[in-house]
Amino acid sequence: MLNPSEKAYCLALQALKQRRYAEAVAYFERAAGYFENNREFSLLRETTRLLVALKRELASFEHDEETLIIEETFSDGQETNLS
Amino acid sequence: MKRIQTLKALEVVLESFLSRAVALKEERLQVLEGINRLDDIARVVHRGDDVTDEIGGWFAQHNRWVSDQSLRPADHGRISDILREIKRELRVSADSSPAVNKIAREIDRWGEIQRQTAMPTPSDRIGSEPSQPADRPAGQKIVLKRGSEASQTGEVNSITRFDSTMTALTDLFRDFAGNKQHLMSVLDEALESAVRQTNKEALLLSALIIYYLRQNGYKTEPFVKRLKEAERLQKGNG
Repeated sequence: MLNPSEKAYCLALQALKQRRYAEAVAYFERAAGYFENNREFSLLRETTRLLVALKRELASFEHDEETLIIEETFSDGQETNLS
Repeated sequence: MKRIQTLKALEVVLESFLSRAVALKEERLQVLEGINRLDDIARVVHRGDDVTDEIGGWFAQHNRWVSDQSLRPADHGRISDILREIKRELRVSADSSPAVNKIAREIDRWGEIQRQTAMPTPSDRIGSEPSQPADRPAGQKIVLKRGSEASQTGEVNSITRFDSTMTALTDLFRDFAGNKQHLMSVLDEALESAVRQTNKEALLLSALIIYYLRQNGYKTEPFVKRLKEAERLQKGNG
């Protein structure tokens, strides 16, 4: 039988292949203890974590932009007539 | 806005890097997926569920592995262990169904061939033909089933385009890295190239390295300034 860490690493790679990055990070974390000294594992894990953090950062920017657009449709507390 | 653009460029670089890294491991990943799937089947067998279809599907997909020299000895050993486990749980007897008997025979065949390939005799090593999986009685056929395959989704054009950019970035990184001792020296050269040669790939590579260094606790402000300067120059030229 495969140990849980090996299964997790395998699932992490599958998740990466399908671009499910947040899921991949979760699997990498589960496998981390067993593959602690594996350089390739560390590189993939860190890069994926970086990418997920970056996506989170970008999502926050996009959220800010949406807020700004909503505010611009109001003038002196009144909804602007967009027609 | 510039910051968003830089981050988005970095996002594309990182995604492309991971995609290429996984592509390089594709063959290995397929082996791991196969072993993992077999391991999942073994766990289901433990619970007493009927998995003859699943095992049949696994053999149909991975039958070539039995004599595949590209598999690591540890992989062969691991597969044999799992198959032995499955066979033990199947509890094959005279009353077993034909499907179960067929699976048991396949498992035996795997074990036999694996033993032959793992421990070649001296005559095997000196110019004789490799052993053939011929331990099945003549005329006997094995019909194996597998599930339907899912179609792959096509890549959008921007992904393909960026894939080529990533190749160029990797080559560029290797060129710059040469025999340098630290990533900061590579970054220095990438920024130099981004400014002097207005090299767009060098600019992207610089952004990636800066973000990587920053995430690892390095002070990157001076490099960020140089990156912005390089970006300004390139925009001026573009």
